[in-house]
Amino acid sequence: MIFDHHTLVGFAKSVGLFYLIGLSLAALAYALWPSNRERFDRAAKAILEDSEDTPCL
Amino acid sequence: MFSTHYKLERKSIGLALGIMLVASIGGLVEIAPLFTIDETVEAAPDMRTYTPLELAGRNIYIREGCYACHSQMIRTLQDDVERYGPYSLAVESKYDHPMLWGSKRTGPDLARLGGKYSDAWQVAHLINPRDVVPESVMPAYGWLARNRLRTDDLGKHLATQRTVGVPYTDAQIANAEADALAQANPDGDGVDGLTERYGKATNVRSFDGDKQVVTEMDALVAYLQILGKLTDAAHKPAPATAEASTK
Amino acid sequence: MVSELTVAERERAMGITGLLALCGMIMAIGGSNDPLGVHGFIVLLFAVAMLFVVASGYFAPEPPESRLQSYYDSPTKAGIVIAMVWAVFGMFIGDWVAWLLAYPELTFDAAWASFGRLRPVHTTGVIFAFGGNALIATSFHVMQRTSRARMPDQFSPWFVLMGYNLFCILAISGYFIGITQSKEYAEPEWYADVWLVIVWVTYFILYIRTLMRRKEPHIYVANWYYLAFILVVAILHIVNGLAVPVSFLSAKSYSLFSGVQDAMTQWWYGHNAVAFFLTAGFLGMLYYYLPKRAERPIYSYRMSIVGFWGITFFYMWAGSHHLHFTALPQWVQTLGMTFSLTLLVPSWIAAANALLTLNGAWDKVRDDATLRFMMIAAVFYGLSTFEGSFMAIRAVNSLSHYTDWTVGHVHAGALGWVAMIIFGAFYATVPSLWKRKRMYSPALVEVHFWLALAGTLVYVFAMWNSGIIQGLMWRTYTESGTLAYSFTDTLVAMHPYYIARAVGGLLFLLGAIVGCYNIWMTIRHDAEAPRATGQETPLPAAPAPSLQPAE
Repeated sequence: MIFDHHTLVGFAKSVGLFYLIGLSLAALAYALWPSNRERFDRAAKAILEDSEDTPCL
Repeated sequence: MFSTHYKLERKSIGLALGIMLVASIGGLVEIAPLFTIDETVEAAPDMRTYTPLELAGRNIYIREGCYACHSQMIRTLQDDVERYGPYSLAVESKYDHPMLWGSKRTGPDLARLGGKYSDAWQVAHLINPRDVVPESVMPAYGWLARNRLRTDDLGKHLATQRTVGVPYTDAQIANAEADALAQANPDGDGVDGLTERYGKATNVRSFDGDKQVVTEMDALVAYLQILGKLTDAAHKPAPATAEASTK
Repeated sequence: MVSELTVAERERAMGITGLLALCGMIMAIGGSNDPLGVHGFIVLLFAVAMLFVVASGYFAPEPPESRLQSYYDSPTKAGIVIAMVWAVFGMFIGDWVAWLLAYPELTFDAAWASFGRLRPVHTTGVIFAFGGNALIATSFHVMQRTSRARMPDQFSPWFVLMGYNLFCILAISGYFIGITQSKEYAEPEWYADVWLVIVWVTYFILYIRTLMRRKEPHIYVANWYYLAFILVVAILHIVNGLAVPVSFLSAKSYSLFSGVQDAMTQWWYGHNAVAFFLTAGFLGMLYYYLPKRAERPIYSYRMSIVGFWGITFFYMWAGSHHLHFTALPQWVQTLGMTFSLTLLVPSWIAAANALLTLNGAWDKVRDDATLRFMMIAAVFYGLSTFEGSFMAIRAVNSLSHYTDWTVGHVHAGALGWVAMIIFGAFYATVPSLWKRKRMYSPALVEVHFWLALAGTLVYVFAMWNSGIIQGLMWRTYTESGTLAYSFTDTLVAMHPYYIARAVGGLLFLLGAIVGCYNIWMTIRHDAEAPRATGQETPLPAAPAPSLQPAE
């Protein structure tokens, strides 16, 4: 094996942590990005607009 | 028109890829180091493999769902150790495909059951647990004593075990069926071959008391009697003291 | 229903069922001296039955082009009915095994009827057969509505639904005859696993193809959760299922991994099956049916997105909390505990988002049992995710692990969250799917709600008690420093709780039977006949008589 156990564990602990922090920030940024607001509001309301049987065209 | 469609495609596939990527990294980072764990795990040069009869018994243990109520994993807690014996080491289940650590103790832990009770007790207990333990809620396994054990495919089972990493020898695979029958019949002439291949300490006896027929009961009891006895590693001078979490 | 398929699709269906029949025949003949043979016969029988159904409708006229103007709901309808049948079956077996723990003699002297074989029948029956069919049925419904697009074809949804049910039948019949891999919640043997992969890939492709036809540029968040469910379950299933069969004509296989690696893989799977099968998919259900029923947009769409990514990446690391104090390296245990605690954030975001959506609609919650099902589901989701994080703490886990506390926790989630959201979604969908004004009897929905809630509470409280008592008894020492109680002492102490648990389960089962009857009568009942009893249930808007503009 190229990586020994110790290296892998160290990698998991350090890079894994930064990966998670980075990913959390990215998700937050995407959700809170001002220009996305309109799209999200629209999506939230869109499902209420048509009845279940509206033809799909 | 066409270009919007292309963009839409990109979006849904991008979402799918994003989910897969994000989700698999967590698993990889956590599990990958475990595949190098052999470097850090206790060594157990005396570790032996299951005999064909014990392996067949293990498969019956799996088939009947025993793992749903019995763990085979003694934790490093003081009361666990005092109740069941030295805590389980990783090396002890290194030949277990799959492992049977369990997740629930509706009944007691079985990691060190081997040798704790006589064969006769085990058989009586399996036929009707309440005959020997009145409070027991365990099912009765009467059919195990009635079913003849299937042995014709044991060679293939050992060969498959070797494929996934258990060090069975060619001789062990070739003699799997004979060894299974020999282990349950101490008077037979296959016993020498069996002990030569699996060691002098192998339990050779008629586990269910009937030497004529090798039943599923023979196999299961043979397996139960070897639990915790494949290696002495756990009984060696304690590598670290049990974590005392009980006050 | 075959008449809804185009002639080309009918031919494809016959080709595939024919191929399946051939596989069944090979398994039946080749595995005639192995349990595999029995499964061969089951596959053959299933395929021939399907072939017969398709053939009997083969000469029906080609479906009209006008079908493309409407959603394709027949597979959803079938899925709902099948899910309800599985619900009653799985819960019946569950209650039977619950009584067996109180009175172990309540069974037959036969292998198939012993606790060890019935228990996976129960877990697979409720999780995969009931829950899985409900997820598939509602996902077909939701993906079309939120995309405002019809599914791309008529055959693949049927292949997914029927193929999945064949998997369920193979799994469950396998446990009865003693075929199991012993990996908890992943017990089916290698060939059933391979079949599920085929079905699942088709499911994923169908979902993506429908999304690609959508009229909105943005993909509604419910679909994200359904997609995560489909994709991650595929990854988990494939990795955890890696095994080498003894031969291609034998039902038995040996898992590729052993010992620690196998344990970690198994509980990485086990915990994420909870995350992506029992949580992500059902959150998708919640994020569509709850706002729809409450007639209010989701409280915060942004929260639903943050929660989504949180669940997708935090859950993956939490599995090792199932292995505290075992031979697993300690750092992996600590990692699992830490992530289990952080998981509380995305979980509570989802629960809070659901409950805040209901703000201003509490009068509806009071009057409408269907919406109340969904509200209680969100509450139990919040409670059981909190409990889960709590139990992942090492000190707590040393007490709770291996006891009934875990069983109580799982059922708080399974009964209180998963089953409640399914029943809520079904009651919301059934009337509009079958073009009825409302459920046959709103009063019976009310009865079902109270039976389900009472059953869940009795069950969970009984298991909390028995679990904590047993955990404490195991670690109690006498003054002289020896263990105070034998294992059998704890069994005696738990007996009354086992009876209470079985009673709670019975209440829940009765509720499901009432639900089945109500749904069946709604389907059979004439749409026009008004009913006098029960209060008025808020209706989804009546069928739109004319075409509406797309945007």
